Amino acid sequence: MKHLLKNNAFQYLSLSALIILTVYGLNAEKGMIVTITVYLTFFEILDIMIAVSIFIGLFQVWVKPATIERWLGKGSGVKGFAFVCTFPIFMGGSLFTIFPLLKTLREKGARTGAIASFITAWGGKAPLLPLETKFLGWPFALVRLGFVVIFAFIMGLLMDWVGEKPTKLA
Amino acid sequence: MRAGHIYLAIAVVLLGISFFKERQKTKEALKATLKIFYTIIPVLVFVFVLMGLIQAYVSRETIASILGQKSGILGILYAEIVGCIALFMPPAVFPFSGYLHDNGASYGSIAAFVFTAILIGITTLPLEIKFLGKRFTIARNIFTFVLAFFIALLMEVILT
Repeated sequence: MKHLLKNNAFQYLSLSALIILTVYGLNAEKGMIVTITVYLTFFEILDIMIAVSIFIGLFQVWVKPATIERWLGKGSGVKGFAFVCTFPIFMGGSLFTIFPLLKTLREKGARTGAIASFITAWGGKAPLLPLETKFLGWPFALVRLGFVVIFAFIMGLLMDWVGEKPTKLA
Repeated sequence: MRAGHIYLAIAVVLLGISFFKERQKTKEALKATLKIFYTIIPVLVFVFVLMGLIQAYVSRETIASILGQKSGILGILYAEIVGCIALFMPPAVFPFSGYLHDNGASYGSIAAFVFTAILIGITTLPLEIKFLGKRFTIARNIFTFVLAFFIALLMEVILT
C-alpha cells in the first residue's frame, strides 16, 4: 500500500478521479463536461502519443549522442541555431506531445537553449497556415512566422544563460 | 487523413526498418516506448482533467467579451493571460482568433493570444516540469510571456 501511494501514476490518476468526483458533487452538468473533455482529448491524441513513443524508443537506441551533440550541443554554433529556430516550425502536434521528445534530446546532449528554441519555433505552426491565413489573413501570418524565428533565437540565448547557472532546482 | 495517422504510419514503417536491421535493438526500442507511454499517460489524464475544468467554467463568449473591447498594452496583457489559461488545441487557436478579430480585438492582442495559447499552458505545466525540470519550466514560461508581449506590441505597430 505504501509503495502504491508513492507511485507517480497512482498519484496522478487518483488526483484526477478526486477532482472529477468533486466537480460532479458540486454540479453534475459541469462534471459531465469535464469527463467528456478528458475522454475526447484522450482519444484525440492517442494515435499521436503512440507514434511519438515509438519515435522516442527508436531514437534512444539508434541515434548516437555524438550526433545530437554535434547538431544541438554546446559547439553547434550557427548551424545548430539555424536548425532549431526553423525546422520545428514544420512539425505538428500539441505542446504535451513534444515534451518527452525534448527530454530525450536533452539527455543525449542538446543544450538547454536549443531545447527552448525548439519549443518556441514549434509554435510557428506552419501546418496550420491554411487556418491562420483563412481567419487572420496572409500579412498577419507572414509577420508572425518571421517573428517566430527571432523569438526562438532570443529564447535560445536567454535559456542558455539560465541553463549554465550552477544551482539545480529540478 | 488525420495527422496522427500519418505519424503512426511513419512510426510503424521505421519500426519495420529497425526490426529488419537489428532485432535486439528494436526490442530495446520497444521497451523504451512502453516505458515512455506508461510514464506519460497518467500525467496526460491529469492535464486533460485540468483542461476539462477550464472548459466547464470559462466560456468562449466570456473570453471574447473580455478581449474584444480592449486594445493597446492592456489589451495585449489581457490577451496573454487568457492565452495561458484558456484550453485550446492548436488547430482551434486560429478559428477562435478570427472570432476575436470579428469581435473587435486588435492584431496585437490576437498575436499575444496566439503565442501564449500555443506556447504556454497552465494545464501543461505539470508535464513540462516532469519532463524538463522545474527550473527550465519556470524560466521558459516567464521568458515566453515577456518576449511574446514585446513581439505582439511590434506586430500591432506593423499591422495597423
